[in-house]
Amino acid sequence: MGLFDILTGKRKMKAPAESRLFAMATAAVTLEMTLELRSAGKAAIVFQPLATADFSSIVTDMEEVLRGTGDDAGTDVERTDDSFGYRWMVLSDADFEDLVVGVNVVSQALQDGGYGERILCAVFAFRDPQNQPVYWIYNYKRGAYYPFVPAGTNQRDSERELRLKAQIGHELPVEAELERWFPLWGIPI
Amino acid sequence: MPRPTSFGKDTGLQLRMTFTMFLLGLVYVVLIVALLGSGVNGITVALIAGGLAAFQLFGSDKLALRAMGAREVSPAEAPELHAMIDRLCVQADLPKPKVAVADTRMPNAFALGRSPKSATVCATTGIMELLSPAELEGVMAHELSHVANRDVLVMTLASFFATIAAYIVQFGFLFGGGHGDDDDNPSAMVLFLVSIGVYVLSFFLMQALSRYREFAADRGAALITGRPSALASALTRIAGGMQRIPDRDLRSTKELAAFYIFPPGAGKAIGGLFATHPPMEKRIAALGRLEQQLQGTA
Repeated sequence: MGLFDILTGKRKMKAPAESRLFAMATAAVTLEMTLELRSAGKAAIVFQPLATADFSSIVTDMEEVLRGTGDDAGTDVERTDDSFGYRWMVLSDADFEDLVVGVNVVSQALQDGGYGERILCAVFAFRDPQNQPVYWIYNYKRGAYYPFVPAGTNQRDSERELRLKAQIGHELPVEAELERWFPLWGIPI
Repeated sequence: MPRPTSFGKDTGLQLRMTFTMFLLGLVYVVLIVALLGSGVNGITVALIAGGLAAFQLFGSDKLALRAMGAREVSPAEAPELHAMIDRLCVQADLPKPKVAVADTRMPNAFALGRSPKSATVCATTGIMELLSPAELEGVMAHELSHVANRDVLVMTLASFFATIAAYIVQFGFLFGGGHGDDDDNPSAMVLFLVSIGVYVLSFFLMQALSRYREFAADRGAALITGRPSALASALTRIAGGMQRIPDRDLRSTKELAAFYIFPPGAGKAIGGLFATHPPMEKRIAALGRLEQQLQGTA
């Protein structure tokens, strides 16, 4: 935001940063091989559903596209709305790369429709050897990932998250500012 | 059919705000000239006012929170509010501010802090009970827009010379009297008169500026949440709640009023020129236009 924008109180929603979403496709191999985190076979993309006809038709079209690809690649789509009014498009696929592609289909459809700024994040679910959930959250506005390890109600395992950051190294673009590692409670995947 | 953005531009508001700030600057230049012309006294006053403004910027947050009876809450204490603000911060691309809650039935919310990194947003228990989650989200997005727009910093700086003028008006005779042996110290007299003029003019300009920044924050909130009507509905509900509940000890916190979602003690008696916030109907009409742009019916 420039000085003049500050003076005149101009707000422009930040459009999504250059997409580094696909970094996850390769990083997932490292996660599984060296960190023993396997994919839970699910990923989600979270966005604010606008109550407009234009937006609804984009979402409906996008779901159809996803279901269409689902027949070959086996991607399942489910939608849920959470208590904060955000929509979760939950994709299920045994093949991790298909999940990343599916998430990209959704975000691309929203961006092409001019609604890129409505996307909150994408979530990739992993499980550790104890079958505890570990999430990698992709912040579109920042073009960066961060780990999220819930530990009970509204508690997170920050130590583990920091360790994950160190372990993954440069394979993923990790959010540098720790205060932007926003938690997402009650992830349905 | 790709569309660049969901909302149109707000050129009119930008122009009015820029023009107001230009006028304010003009008024202040007159004061600066008078200050320099009056010599030592004026500069002393400016230094004192500068110190106070710096204190206001760097040290007043805690005081203001305490005056409001607000305290910072951890995510464990207010999980819903924190989760809501987390998501809004992702959308607005802001670092997370401190979150505070004031235990009062008055439905209100405000933002403090000179920069996004040192900001605090506060909601009262009254507003959290009164509003639905979507409406509260609109209100918190409005406060986050104040943070993103650095409204505290802008308004403090904008009021800097007005504060100097106010000091000179209040203590003018003191400064003027200590200088010479008699009353006919022309430069002190001129400074005094100029200060009165600057004080009065800048007062109205500041109020106008504050109103424009409210519109900007409403607009920012609509951009962040994508739900202008939720904020409009929150505003009507707060306005209804404000009239029902008597304004207890809130008159003592006037300087905070500019950053409220809705000013305390705002009744029908307050004329447009004196108000820090635009009238409810105008804010709701502006949000209505945003909703129309969103729906593509504008």
